[in-house]
Amino acid sequence: MSVATVREVTFGEELPVFDPDTSLDNVIRFTEAAGWRGPRFTDHEAARKEGLPGALVPGIMSQGFLCAMIHRWAPPAQIVEVDTVFRAPVIVDQTYHINGVVTDVDETEGRVEVDLTVTNEKGETRVFGTAKVKLPV
Amino acid sequence: MSQLDIEALKKEWVGVQFEERSFVLDPQNMAEYASACGEVAACYTDPTDPDFQAPPTFASSLQRGRGLPEHFPKMPGLGMDAGKAVEAFAPIRPGPKTSRTHMHDIYAKTGRSGRMIFLVIRMALYDPDGTHVANADTRVVIRERPTEEDQA
Repeated sequence: MSVATVREVTFGEELPVFDPDTSLDNVIRFTEAAGWRGPRFTDHEAARKEGLPGALVPGIMSQGFLCAMIHRWAPPAQIVEVDTVFRAPVIVDQTYHINGVVTDVDETEGRVEVDLTVTNEKGETRVFGTAKVKLPV
Repeated sequence: MSQLDIEALKKEWVGVQFEERSFVLDPQNMAEYASACGEVAACYTDPTDPDFQAPPTFASSLQRGRGLPEHFPKMPGLGMDAGKAVEAFAPIRPGPKTSRTHMHDIYAKTGRSGRMIFLVIRMALYDPDGTHVANADTRVVIRERPTEEDQA
């Protein structure tokens, strides 16, 4: 069930897990739309020649996944601030899960804070972030 | 060679604007960006929606061009993208925009493996009427190589 107002949000609530599309086709689509073309993002072999484990999901795409997850959970959410830390590479064509938990709720101002983590199938954190969100009161 | 003087670097470079660009945001690219990220609401994915806008993180994709100011000192190590942050003040709509980029902060952290230098580069995004739409920060981290003095 999606969230419509801040009164429906509880401290400690976990957001529905979001598994982003990290397929090569989708990453190519993203890099073309964002104007961030480059073989390290769109070609596994070219990325390996640079010493990388495979083509990389751009950091700005991981950041975009976090926003999409919040909007899916709470469609009227206005994301006021999102801060993302890139701890380790996110590799194209691998499976990742994004988890989120509500860490602060201000019902009067309609403000919510959410901690977000992108983990791989081994449970290792690759990216984490914090978002400040405004919701209808 | 001694370590970089972070305080001197801050004094000289923090606040220095080193790029200004004007460009036009294409609604189709904005919608493709949103869909690829997993957005499903029409206000992000359908350019005909009356409230059509880009997700706020789209601002990060607009940080291009020169990475550092001209004549900025050579850093003692390889720079890596450590993170990005966006502050959203108004919806990002299609059409003309201006961005101004400056060195926002410089700081160091020291750990067991040595010192890391962080450069925060901020791009501010504006509508044609001067409305400040968003800030997009990039944090570049440089792991400082030990100097000969350190190793002695």
